[in-house]
Amino acid sequence: MATDARTLELRQLVNKKYKYIDRKWDAVFWITAAFVVGAAADITKQLFAGDWDFWTDWKDRQWWPIITPFAIIIIGSALQYIQWLAWRFPTGMTYTAVAMFACTFIGRWLQWGAFVYYPMNFVWPATMVAAAIFADWVLLKTKSFVLTSVLGSMIFAVSWWVSNYIPLAPFVQPAQWMDRVLTVSDIQGIEYVRSQTPEYLRIIEHGSLRTFLGETTYVSLVFGATVAIGGYWVGQFIGRGLAIWPIGRFMKKW
Amino acid sequence: MQRRYRRYFLAALLATMLLVTLAPAAQAHGEAAQEAFLRLRTVGWVNVRFSSDTVMQGETFTITGVAKIMESWPTTLAKGNPNTGYMGLIAPGPVVMLKERTMNGVSVPSRIDIKKGDIFEFSMTVAGRRVGRWHIHPSFSVKGAGTLLGPGMWINVKENPDGFKNEVQLVEAGGGPGDTINLENYQLPYVWIWLVITFFIGLAWMIYWTVPKRTVTNLAVTSQIPLNTDGMDYGLITKKDHRNMNWFAIGTLLLLLVGWIYQANAFPTKIPQQIIQFAPPQSALAENAGIAQTRNARATFDPDTDTVALSVDVTNTGTTPLTLTNFHASTLAYAVGGSPGPGVIAVTPQAEVAPGATTKLTLTTRDPAWRVEHLLPIGESQLLITGILVFRTGDGNTALSEVEAILQPRFE
Repeated sequence: MATDARTLELRQLVNKKYKYIDRKWDAVFWITAAFVVGAAADITKQLFAGDWDFWTDWKDRQWWPIITPFAIIIIGSALQYIQWLAWRFPTGMTYTAVAMFACTFIGRWLQWGAFVYYPMNFVWPATMVAAAIFADWVLLKTKSFVLTSVLGSMIFAVSWWVSNYIPLAPFVQPAQWMDRVLTVSDIQGIEYVRSQTPEYLRIIEHGSLRTFLGETTYVSLVFGATVAIGGYWVGQFIGRGLAIWPIGRFMKKW
Repeated sequence: MQRRYRRYFLAALLATMLLVTLAPAAQAHGEAAQEAFLRLRTVGWVNVRFSSDTVMQGETFTITGVAKIMESWPTTLAKGNPNTGYMGLIAPGPVVMLKERTMNGVSVPSRIDIKKGDIFEFSMTVAGRRVGRWHIHPSFSVKGAGTLLGPGMWINVKENPDGFKNEVQLVEAGGGPGDTINLENYQLPYVWIWLVITFFIGLAWMIYWTVPKRTVTNLAVTSQIPLNTDGMDYGLITKKDHRNMNWFAIGTLLLLLVGWIYQANAFPTKIPQQIIQFAPPQSALAENAGIAQTRNARATFDPDTDTVALSVDVTNTGTTPLTLTNFHASTLAYAVGGSPGPGVIAVTPQAEVAPGATTKLTLTTRDPAWRVEHLLPIGESQLLITGILVFRTGDGNTALSEVEAILQPRFE
C-alpha cells in the first residue's frame, strides 16, 4: 500500500533533528517532573489513604483494597493522559508509581525510621508498580481511555492487592499476646507507641460480610475496582481540565 | 562589597548559632496547652506510679494507678456520653514499647467500653527500646474527645550490652506455639526485596520508553494525530514495542504468581486483623465509690500566694470513719499533711468524717503548679475546679469521691 504524503511527513518529523532541542531536554523533563509527580501522588495517597499506607495493622482486607487503589490511581491517571497525549508513551501510571515509591521510600526511611524510630517492617509503603504496569499495558493495547478506565482500573485494583498482599502475608499470621490470639500486625500497632492514634481510630474490617459467604476480600476487591474507575476519571479530569486545557488556552493566546 | 557580604554571612551564622544554642528543647507533650476543663473534668488520675526511672533496652518497668472517667464529663465532648476508650502511652515515638496492659485485673490489648463514673485500676508493663532520656505519660483516649494525659515522668533507657530483641510467639496451624520472632526486623528483608524488585521492574519499563526514544520532540507529531492511535504509522510506537511490552506484562504477572505461591507456602496460617472491644470488670474501688458524698463545693484562688482553698461538705454514708488521705486534680497529686505546699494539702478542721456525719472540710494547697500547669480555668467559660478526694475507710479500704467546686478567683 502506498504511503501517503501526510504519513511520510509525520514520519520525518518523528526523526527530525532539532538544533536546540536535544536529549538534554528529555532528561530535564523526566527528572524534574519525577519529584513533582512523586510528591503529588504521595500527597494524594496520604490525603485519602494515609493511615492504611503507614501501618501494617491498618492494611486490612476490607477497607485497604477499596480506599488505596482509588487514592493512588488519580495522579497516575492524570499522568497517563498527559504522557500519552504529548509523547504517545504508555508510561504515565508506571512513572507515577516509580516516582511515588522513591519519594515514599525516602520519606519512610528518614521520617519514620531515622527520626522517630518506627521499625520499617511496621511502616513499609505499599507498591503500585505492578498494578501501574498493567494499567499502562492496557492503554497501549486498547489505545482508549474509556477502555483503560474500565479494564485498566479493574486490573489495577486487583493486581495492586495481589502485589501488596505478598509482603503483608507475614504480618497477618496469628500470634499469642496478652492472653489472646492477634495478628503480628495488631501487636506491632499496640506495642509501638502511636501517641495520638488510639486504636479505636483504626478503620478496618469489623464484621465478615457474611451475606457474601464471608468472602470479604473478593467483595472489597470488586468494590475497590469499581471505585478505582471513579478515581481514574478524577485523574483524567485533573489531566485534561487542570493541566492540558489551561496550557492549550495559554498557547493559543501566546 | 566582599567585606559587606562577609558581615552578612557572619551575622547569619551568629543568629543561627544563637537560635540553636539558646532555644530550649521541647521536653513535654503539650499537656499544659490543653484547657483546664479538659484535663480536670474528663479523666481523673489517682496514685500514678512508675516502678523505675531507669531501664535497659528490653527491660521493663510498670506504670500503675487509677483512671476515673469523671461524672462531671463535659457535655461538649463525645456528646456528653463517653463510650469507647483506649489506655495508652504518650512518648516521643516508639522509644518504649507496651508489653502488657491490665485494667481491673484483666489483660486489655486494645480499646474498651467505658461510661461516666467508671474506675479503672491499670497497670502497664513497658519495655525500654530506644537509648535516651524520654518523657513518658500514661494516657487515656476517649472516642469523640481525644487523648488525655496522666502524670508523666522522665525515663532513662540505657543501652543493653547483650543486644535488644522484641520477641513475640507465633501460633501454628494446629493452635500450638510456633516460632518466636523478633518484631524489630521480622521479615524486613523479604518486604524490601519484594518492594525493590517491583520498583526496578517499573524503572526498567520507564528506561525502555525514555532512554532509546526521544520524548519532547514527539509533541510535534502527537499534536497532529488523534488521541486513540498509538502512532505506529509514524514510528512513535512500533510492533516491537508492543511485543516487548507484552513480555513486560507477562513477566510482571509471573512475578506476582511466584510471589503469591511463595507467601501461601511460607506463611500458610493467616487471620484478619483483630478488633477487640469489651468492658473490663468493675474495680473494687467502684464498690466504695458512693461512701463519701460531696456537696456545696467552692474554691478560691489567691494569685499572690498561689493558694487554692477548696471547701466541701462531705457526707460519710458508710459504717466506719472516713479519713481523707489525698487529693488529685488532673496531673497534680497532694497528700494530706501539715502545712500546705507542693504535693501537700492541709485539711481543716480535721481529715476524718464520722459515719453518718456531714463535715465541711477545707482543703488548702499552696502550689505554683496550678498556674504553671494551666489548671486554673481562669479565662475559660466554666470557672470550676474538679478533682478526686481519696478516703481511707475504717476497715482499710479506699473510697474515691469526685468533687466539683465553683471557683471564685481573685483576679490580678
